[in-house]
This record gives sequence, C-alpha cells and structure tokens, in this order.
Amino acid sequence: MKVKFRIRRFNPEVDKKPYWGEYTLDNVEPTDRVLELLHRVKWEQDGTLTLRRSCAHGVCGSDAVRINGVNKLACKVLVKSLNLKDGGQIQVEPILGLPVVKDLVVDFEPFFDHYRSVMPYFVPATPLPGDGRERRQSPEDRARFDDTTKCILCACCTTSCPSFWASGQYVGPAAIVNAHRFIFDTRDGATQERLNILSEESGVWRCRTIFNCTPACPREIEVTRAIGEVKLAIQRGGR
Amino acid sequence: MATLVTTITETLRYKGKLGQWSWVLHRVTGLGVVLFLILHVIDTSWAAFYPGQYAKAIGEYQSPLFTLGEFALVAAIIYHAMNGLRIVLFDFKPEWWHLQQKAAMIVLGASVVLLVPTFAIMFGHVLHYYDGNPDLVTISDIIQSQAQFLLGFVVIIAAALLLSLAYALITGETGTPARPNRRPSQFDAWMWRFMRLSGLLIVPLVFGHLAMVHLIQGVFDITTSGHSIVGTDAVNSSGKAVEFVGRRWDYLVAGVAIWRIYDGALLALVVVHGFNGLRYVVNDYAHDRVVRRALTLAIAFGAAALIILGFAALLAGVDETAYGIAKEGLESFSKVPTSPFGG
Repeated sequence: MKVKFRIRRFNPEVDKKPYWGEYTLDNVEPTDRVLELLHRVKWEQDGTLTLRRSCAHGVCGSDAVRINGVNKLACKVLVKSLNLKDGGQIQVEPILGLPVVKDLVVDFEPFFDHYRSVMPYFVPATPLPGDGRERRQSPEDRARFDDTTKCILCACCTTSCPSFWASGQYVGPAAIVNAHRFIFDTRDGATQERLNILSEESGVWRCRTIFNCTPACPREIEVTRAIGEVKLAIQRGGR
Repeated sequence: MATLVTTITETLRYKGKLGQWSWVLHRVTGLGVVLFLILHVIDTSWAAFYPGQYAKAIGEYQSPLFTLGEFALVAAIIYHAMNGLRIVLFDFKPEWWHLQQKAAMIVLGASVVLLVPTFAIMFGHVLHYYDGNPDLVTISDIIQSQAQFLLGFVVIIAAALLLSLAYALITGETGTPARPNRRPSQFDAWMWRFMRLSGLLIVPLVFGHLAMVHLIQGVFDITTSGHSIVGTDAVNSSGKAVEFVGRRWDYLVAGVAIWRIYDGALLALVVVHGFNGLRYVVNDYAHDRVVRRALTLAIAFGAAALIILGFAALLAGVDETAYGIAKEGLESFSKVPTSPFGG
C-alpha cells in the first residue's frame, strides 16, 4: 500500500519555525513498523531527517514520538494498527513539553532532572543480612510494586500530560512511577523522603487525573493508578 | 501564560481519550460556576444592605439573557458535580482505574438524565412567566450594571498587580523561577483533601439549593405576591424578592434559622472550593512570579471578601421595612415592556 507521511521538521540552524515535511512511501506492508518507515524516509528520500532510536525493539525507550496525535514508541507501532486506507496519512511529530533539538529529537535533560529528583534508587532500610546474601521479601510484598518496575523512561506518559505541558516544573508521571517503585518496596528506607519530595508544589498535586498518561505507556504500566497510590500514601503519611 | 495557549491548542490536537475531555469540561464548568458565584453572593448581600439594588438584580435574573445563563449554570453545576464524584472515586480507589472511561460515559449520561427533567421544569417556569407579559429589563441596563462587576474585577486585579510589583521591587524576585519551589507543601496536601471532602458535602447542598430556587419555586416566582415561600410556611405578601430572602432566613425550626445555616454552609464550602480551583488554574498557567503572586493575592482577597460579605448579610438579615424600599427601587428602574432581549 501507499502511505503519506507528514513529519514535523525543525533545524534550529536554518529554520525560523517548525514546518511539516511531506513524503510518500510506496510498497508499505501492514506489518511494517512506523520506525522502519521513518528509516525509509531518511535513507531513501531525505537524509537530513533526524530521529533517535537505539534498540528499535521497544526496550530502550529512545524513539517516543507523537503518531497520529498520540504518544507512542515508533518501533512498537505497526502500520495496520493505525487503520489506514491506501494512501492514508501518518503524522509524526516530536513529543511535547521538552525542547526540540532537531526534527523528532527532543532534549531529555529536564525529564531526567525530574527523574533524578525523586531518588530513583534503593536506599536500604536495614543493614546487609549476616549471611551476606540478599534482603528477603515475600512474593506479596514484591508484587506491590511489580508494575512500576517496567518503566523504560521513554517519556511517552510525561509528555502526554496537559499538566506537564502547562508547567515543565511538574515532576511528571514518569518520575512518580519511578518513585512508586521504591516507595512501595518494603526493603527501602527512604519512603518518607520521597513522599516529601512528591508533596512539593511541583509534585503529585499537579496531577488532575486526566488519564492521558495511562494509554500512552508502551509498557502498559497503570500510570494514573501509581500516581493515585502515591497521593494516598502522602495523605496516610506512609506507604 | 504562553503555556495556556499551548495547553489549549495541544489539548485540541492530542488524541486523548474521554478523560482528557472530562478534565476540560470540569475546568470550564468550574470557572463558569465561580463567575456566577461571585455575582450571586454580592447580589444576594444586597437583599440585606441595599434592598432596592437587590430588586433590580432579580429583575435582571428574570431577563432572557440571564435565563439562558441560568440553564447553562444548572447544566454546568450538574456536570461538575457528577464528574467530581468520578474524580473522588478514582482518587480513593486508584486500583479501579480501568473503569474510569466507563465512569466518564456514565457521568455524561447521568448529567443528561438529570438535565432533561430539570430543564423541562425550568422551561415550564419560563413559559408561565412570559404568559403574564412581564416587564423585561433591557440589555443595555444589564450591560450597565454588570459593567460594575467587570470594573471591580479589573480594579482588584490591578491593585493586586501593583502590590505584587511593589513586593518584587523590594525583594528583587521577578521572572519565572528556574527551579521549582522545593518545600513540601502541606497546604496543597491539605487542599487536595479539602477539595474532595467539600465537593462531597457541596453536592447534596447545592442540589437542594437548585431544587428550591430553580425548580420548586424558580427565580420567576420569587416576585409573585401571595406565592408560598419554598422551605417555609410563609407567604410572599409584598411580592418582592427581598421578602422571599428575608422570610426564608427568618424561618425557624425549633428555634433554629435552618436556611441561614444552610446558606452559610453552602457559601463557605463553595467559595473556598471554587476559589481554590481558580488557584489551581493560576498555578498551572501563570509562571511569572509577579503575575502569579498578584493573581493568588486577588484570589485570596476575593474569597475572604465574599465569605465576609455573605456572612454579614446572613447575620444582618432582611429588615421588614426593606420590603417597601425594594418596591421603590424597582419602580425607579427603567423598563421597556417589549420583546425578549429588550427589543
């Protein structure tokens, strides 16, 4: 089938404003992924098209873009899932709320700053056990935060959030998900510190339960639920 | 403010699901209700302090323009209440999130189901009123009197901006802060709880209020002489709106002025809930420190002023001599008995 591509282009060294670049691709298979088609545009038609991808298999989280109006990983979207007719259009633009470096590439530093701000690492609550082996945990306790271990920091959720669009100072869904992973870990000793961080003006109270983040997650993390659980933990004063 | 434009345009462009539109509707209806709340508290306080002025205000509420506004107001309140219940449900049961899309549909459905009979009854009041060939307030009179409110808003915001600018000159704090405020906000945690609790309390109070003064009696019947006064055993003998207000506030059950307590509770909860909602909107979109501080100041002042004014009116009550003053006030008001919208 034939597919029309509309890609948001911006080269800060040349362009005053972003514009839509249009490209037509023939022989597109329904089982092609959008990333492969972006590659075809770059390799066959316009080598200046700039995009970011590493593993290309939905694990590294570097090719988050907005495809036909919704944040997705370009490497995980099959053409057939877009329900296109022959000659149909695929619109690709950078995710919103982070500075555009060039074309589809955005600067992730502000996003990672928010991630780092929630202490996304294990802080032991107890000294290492005497036998020198791991700190043990019941399967139930482990299951409590299983969902939020899956995050790959692609920023699909954070950049789908109108509260984040409104203020880049909002810590955002992804950082809260990563805080949730440690807040609800019974072996961790910094729960209260993280809850204090997330109760700041830029923290969880900026969430308006809009639910854009949950369907945006390519890992199917229950993002809004995790944010809700953190809110309740702050209200309770502990996990 | 630039992010307000971005948020509006990108919310229209982003293909979010129903939750996104529920949020948009919740904000729009909330802002609309707050705007009316401000007019309504000030107007109603006139029943106690300027009975003549109150009669004019009720005359305006009976005009076609405000009738359209009344229908919009009732729809906004019903949607905001229903969607508020949905928000509270998923805030306290986040593990039920997968039902939220369905719940958003139910909210829309329930709003329509509630609105159909409500609008039918309200429309009945409208028809009945126009059957009697009423004297209608003209559009220009409405614009003239509402312009005072607009002027008031402008003055308050301008004063707040000047104060905020003065503060910025002294402290040197201007522009958008590079880093977010890093203090844990007990206030925001507390307000989060208050918004949910007050919302749950407001729903039955405001539905009762709507039922009494928009459905059972309606704004058109509060100026009918000889009409019984809803929620009391009294009759509106003068046919003046101030008598309606005065008799309701003076109605005692076992020595307790139940409607004063009811109105006071509704006033306090709704003003704090509504103005805090306004604060959320300001926090979202006003990033410049001078502007944000000014608007926050205006909001705090507005909320305090409305609560003080409302409670002062409730405590003062309506003097029975006011029933006559209202009559004079109304007669001095220019009226053109022509078509709807004042010809």
